[in-house]
Amino acid sequence: MTEVLKRRQIPEGVRDLLPDLAGQKRKLEEFIQQVFSRWGYREVSTPAFEYSEIFAADLKAGLENSIYRFPDEQGRMLVLRPDFTLPIARVVAVHFAEGPLPLRLCYGGEIFRYAGGLQGKQRALTQAGVELMGDATPGSDAEVVALAAAVLQEAGLDEFTLCLGHVGFLDLLLAAYDLLPQDVEKIKLLFNKKDFVTLKEMVTKLKISEQAKESIMQIPLLRGGVEVLTKARALLPAGANVQPLELLQEIWSVLEDYKVTQFVTLDLGMVRMMNYYTGMVFEGYTNGLGYPLCGGGRYDQLLTNFGCELSAVGFAVSLDHLLTVLTRQKKLPELLEPLFVAFDESGRENAIATAQTLRRQGAVVIVDLKAATYEEAFQAGCRLGATRLLYCTDNDIFDADLDRGQV
Amino acid sequence: MLAANDWLTIALAKGRILPSSLSLFTAAGIDCSSIASDTRKLIFRLEAEKLQFILAKPTDIPTYVEYGAADLGVVGKDILLEQEKELYELLDLKLGACRLSVAQKAEKTGATWGSSVTYVATKYPNLAKRHFLKKGRQVEIIKLHGSIELAPLLNLADVIVDLVSTGKTLRENNLVEAEVIAQITARLVANPGSYQVKAERVMALVQQLEKVL
Repeated sequence: MTEVLKRRQIPEGVRDLLPDLAGQKRKLEEFIQQVFSRWGYREVSTPAFEYSEIFAADLKAGLENSIYRFPDEQGRMLVLRPDFTLPIARVVAVHFAEGPLPLRLCYGGEIFRYAGGLQGKQRALTQAGVELMGDATPGSDAEVVALAAAVLQEAGLDEFTLCLGHVGFLDLLLAAYDLLPQDVEKIKLLFNKKDFVTLKEMVTKLKISEQAKESIMQIPLLRGGVEVLTKARALLPAGANVQPLELLQEIWSVLEDYKVTQFVTLDLGMVRMMNYYTGMVFEGYTNGLGYPLCGGGRYDQLLTNFGCELSAVGFAVSLDHLLTVLTRQKKLPELLEPLFVAFDESGRENAIATAQTLRRQGAVVIVDLKAATYEEAFQAGCRLGATRLLYCTDNDIFDADLDRGQV
Repeated sequence: MLAANDWLTIALAKGRILPSSLSLFTAAGIDCSSIASDTRKLIFRLEAEKLQFILAKPTDIPTYVEYGAADLGVVGKDILLEQEKELYELLDLKLGACRLSVAQKAEKTGATWGSSVTYVATKYPNLAKRHFLKKGRQVEIIKLHGSIELAPLLNLADVIVDLVSTGKTLRENNLVEAEVIAQITARLVANPGSYQVKAERVMALVQQLEKVL
């Protein structure tokens, strides 16, 4: 392959965004940050690469093989951020541990992972998300879920499902039976993959009571509205801790006040990929997209990694997946169409003054670069995709509608 | 193509397991007679049920489901093991039962291992590689698309990894089954999006099918 051909390639898993998609993506990002901001979340920005120690929890959570690592000049290992939650946790532990709580922070930007898993084939992914730190009440769980619903709704999706679960429920139910720790892990993994065929095979072979087997196989059916919590309670043995169910009940009732429960499905068999979650977990899905659009939950132990005791709950939305869905549903944010200002030999000053006035008013204005005849200007305006031509002479302006695309 | 919101799209594998898949859905109360009668058409819409069946090559089923072009798919466990997609496996439909096995020439039994490299011919390169890696065996995988049994006969490979149902093809080619890797049946799979967004319809269908298995 010639050097020139090599120079024209880009690596697998990354892409150029061309007009108008790049602009629409930027607009969507800004829009989401505005929603976060209206809910009182303040933006923080962290470096694109950090010391690998920061991401120890991600490594433990199975991201080991999907992280970009490289040494700095002293040989200390750096990591391109695969995730925002850990850098934000570090920021909070370092800068805000003594500050007023709760703390509402938001972020947006790219994360980097070798392709695979739920991310599809892309290696650089744009996320936007929030973290609510220093409050362990159901109110903060509910706020984060309601905010996720608000973002998807305001972005233009009218059909999506946020499925809401609690990592503690499965643990409690499984703890009630005499299971080996490795069997518990295996069952949780099967729930995570929702491989109910293998689950059934495995549970059938376990040396536990028929009733216990029946209970475990009932968990996949625990999906739906708030009535699911009553059914779930019936599966737990008498005297078991029902705190996870009570918490979900409370979250649900706050979500009712937000009037978003029509978007929420309780799913008590839900297990999130990252094992640092300690309480409520949720994922957002929409029609025709195999991957989750957003996901999050509570991780009250995560900040201890940074020497700080602070409860935390958050979520991130995938801009790339959201963009894909909005493109398919033709609901991308609209970009302003340009006006074209051209001028004859004597009209440049008038043209530039006119353009500057319109630009200050927020219009998109393209100014011709040299004097042209009216016919030339008309053709050029069409080629540029402008909606209107303003042709300036030294003391006059001729205004014409341009039929887009016709040259 | 985007699956319509209140419709359910199910991808069925053309070929061997199609007739039994259709009988199963029929037994579960979904009238599939229009599908059996016309094999050239690829999309079948059942207006009353708001159900759409698409017919595709077996190895493409996971892709249709993964991208959400279909909500559900009926596909062999062999293909799921080979492709390792992030799909939810909802139900064992118990159709097309067979096993995925390692086979070798009859006279070579036992003598295959111990050589530095074993050549493995298969339609399932990922699956075969994983299987032998797990055992710490050094293998070179040779990907073929059909008539895998030929490979050992022509000394292209030492062993093959392939589906075995009755064992007749193996016997006729003087091959013997050396090891069973997995029991294979057709599975009902869903992508996470459809599983959640169309939760009620998906669960209802799973329960309908479960009753007639």
